Amino acid sequence: MERKGVVTWFALGSLVLLAIMGVVLPGGARSLVVQIMIFSIFAMGYDICLGYTNQCSLGHSMFFGAGAYGAILSIMSFKLGLMPALGAALLVGFVLSVLTGLICVRLSEAYFVIVSAIISAVFHLLAMDMTWLTGGDDGLSASIPPISQSMSQLSLYNPYVNYYFVFFFLLVSYLVLKRMIGAPLGRIFISIRENPRRAHFLGYNVTRYKLVAFVLSGVFGALSGALYAMTLRYASADYFSFYWSVLPIVWCLIGGIGTIAGCWIGVALMSLFQYYVSAWFTHYLLLFGILILIILKVSRRGMLGYLAGRGSGRI
Amino acid sequence: MNGLIWGLIIALIALGLSLIFGVMGIVNMAHGDLYMVGAVLAFYLFPLLGNFWLALLVVPLIIALIAAPIERFVLRPYEGHHAVTMIATVGISFILQQAALATYGGVPKKMADPWAVSFNLFGVSYPGYRFLIAAISIVILVAIGLFLYRTSYGILIRASIQDKDMAAAMGIDINKVLVGTFVLGSALAAIGGVLAAPITQVSYLMGNDVVLLAFIVVIIGGLGSLGGTLVAALSLCALEGVLSALLSPTQSKAAIFVVMIIILMIRPRGLFGEPER
Amino acid sequence: MTEKGNLLEVVDVSRHFGGLTAVDNVSYAIRAGEVRGIIGPNGAGKTTLFNVITGELKPSSGRIYLKGEDITGKSPDLICQKGMSRTFQLTYVFPEMTVYQCVWVGVYSKAKRAANMFLSRADRLKEVADKTMEICRLVGIEDRRDELASNLSYGDQKVLEIAMALSTDPALLLLDEPTQGVGPKEADGIVQLIELLSGRMSILLIEHNIDIILRVCHNLTVLSNGRVIADGSCAEIGRNEEVQRIYLGEITCS
Repeated sequence: MERKGVVTWFALGSLVLLAIMGVVLPGGARSLVVQIMIFSIFAMGYDICLGYTNQCSLGHSMFFGAGAYGAILSIMSFKLGLMPALGAALLVGFVLSVLTGLICVRLSEAYFVIVSAIISAVFHLLAMDMTWLTGGDDGLSASIPPISQSMSQLSLYNPYVNYYFVFFFLLVSYLVLKRMIGAPLGRIFISIRENPRRAHFLGYNVTRYKLVAFVLSGVFGALSGALYAMTLRYASADYFSFYWSVLPIVWCLIGGIGTIAGCWIGVALMSLFQYYVSAWFTHYLLLFGILILIILKVSRRGMLGYLAGRGSGRI
Repeated sequence: MNGLIWGLIIALIALGLSLIFGVMGIVNMAHGDLYMVGAVLAFYLFPLLGNFWLALLVVPLIIALIAAPIERFVLRPYEGHHAVTMIATVGISFILQQAALATYGGVPKKMADPWAVSFNLFGVSYPGYRFLIAAISIVILVAIGLFLYRTSYGILIRASIQDKDMAAAMGIDINKVLVGTFVLGSALAAIGGVLAAPITQVSYLMGNDVVLLAFIVVIIGGLGSLGGTLVAALSLCALEGVLSALLSPTQSKAAIFVVMIIILMIRPRGLFGEPER
Repeated sequence: MTEKGNLLEVVDVSRHFGGLTAVDNVSYAIRAGEVRGIIGPNGAGKTTLFNVITGELKPSSGRIYLKGEDITGKSPDLICQKGMSRTFQLTYVFPEMTVYQCVWVGVYSKAKRAANMFLSRADRLKEVADKTMEICRLVGIEDRRDELASNLSYGDQKVLEIAMALSTDPALLLLDEPTQGVGPKEADGIVQLIELLSGRMSILLIEHNIDIILRVCHNLTVLSNGRVIADGSCAEIGRNEEVQRIYLGEITCS
């Protein structure tokens, strides 16, 4: 299937490139690429929701924030090591996505969007309010323990370690998601996307599978939040804001909905855009908005999706 | 009392949203920003025109000029694709906010009181302007109610909420209805903004405060139901008013949202569009 | 309550929509191996009846039994798992999936287990793959297995519809106007398929074309305005005066 080939080659090529860039790039660019990798994990997870099961959530910032605080608070308050803190963050993300999924997933399209936005807004409001826990807008800073107690030189304060730590999770996330989409589960997701009623009549409990997709995307969102917090050594209530719920949509839209790695392009372009444009144009969010409209005009399924649509197979 | 006044304003905004959501099926994330634009315009026009009533009339006209092209060129091409349309409205929301930021500035400002009179209400001095808000809102709500339930154009809109394809099949020019509905809905939001401007801080982000609340009101009140929207708006705002005496403003807002989620779980009228079982 | 040997029993089922009664106290039964036609003028409630039997709508009153088990009000996916499958009037496939994948999804539905769902490669599940190909060959679309469903001709999509309904290995197959809108040659192909299938499963068929009805059906249920006005073998119905009156002037072309 032609299309599958294109995206897979792109993904593999990017991974190789990323592996090399870690040692080659200068400091500033390297940090930017670390961010791009972290956001790519977030975007891939979100694509499971949007691109594979047609659930347009406007509330994914709650997973991002939960993951970030899950990690930081584990380190600060519970004195957990790095990996256990990551595990804790994933657990928080999992529980949160199951609970909110049970509320939201059975709702019809438009109501799902609104309610997910509202639940996320609740978290944002509470996070801003409970400054004793979250530090509010100002946030919390923490010092990050090394990856393992025995090898204390493997600390995230070393930029190379940080880079490859994040790269490792991007690689693992990609492989896991790719495997899942190629498994029966992926095909079930796609059938739900294409015609949920038909899938229902073929014997599938559609709501249950939508929940699985939602939870998957929540867990990856939490993973990316945790990695972000660990990289910046900082978490803020701002991570729960609406902005972080919109970004994944834009990433996936630019790069291609319903492709696993297409969103990486979206992440890269947006991050570069923000990094460079915001330097000389303070109102770059205006261009952001215009950009959204332009992309939608070009293709509803995003850039790679557009290119792919001209190929023969889509799956 | 304050809560009720806000309830009326939110009712106007929510009614506009209900029309847009009901007729066009669009989750309009920019609706709050049209409210903001109304407020910003009022901020500039009131000193300019010297007359509050004129501002109240002019703003909807300006909004119509903004809203109609939005519907025609941005929203209509994606008709039927709800996720895409919703994302497009997010894009518009950013554009409107940033445009306001660029022109109006980032600092929230207070507007002059259009009717600097105070009444003595139960021994408490109450600003006259708020009665004006109540009066104007009620007049508008009644007018819209009459429009929707008595005039043929209004009936068209209500028919379209019920079944858009059927309405189109019956030879009604659905495009006119779409544009008209969107303009009307946006105008209502903007009028809400004009009315709210003197009693709150006008800022480019103020749309974010109302948009989710408006959606809650629409969902709980029932799509296209004028009475339901009104009741929901008044109750929720009154509830928030009561809560804010006990909790911080942020917490009471969060509480309202939680109430809505609970209601939705008990009475999932939110299964609109799901196959009936 | 249920006669032994009846595969499906519909007992006094009604369905109201507000003031409108779409299905009014309908009762009939199907035995194993039977092919029963549901006929009647447009708007008689045939598709609504299908929607009620397959679980999409709850009946306002009455009960439905499949293989002796009460399935009234159960959800469509459960009913499918119990052995009832349907096609839809408008072709209802997975547009961006290939023909093979469309059928595969249905086959997997009966074979799914948590063990193989998450990480196995979908196309490596041998049993599922074999069964999928078997069905494709049976309906005659195996040569187009890699084509996107949305690229198929209308007639081929109708056949794919049936293949997808077959993929869940039903004991009872509900066909909703399977030849509607196709040319005579393709219609004939579909009819031959139905004849082939009637040996293996029971079929409930909504059809307007009397020739096709007479060719494949053993028994008929005639609906009008949501009510059963006649029920019996084809020969009996043919002699029924009321049925003739209802169909007088109705020339079905196909």
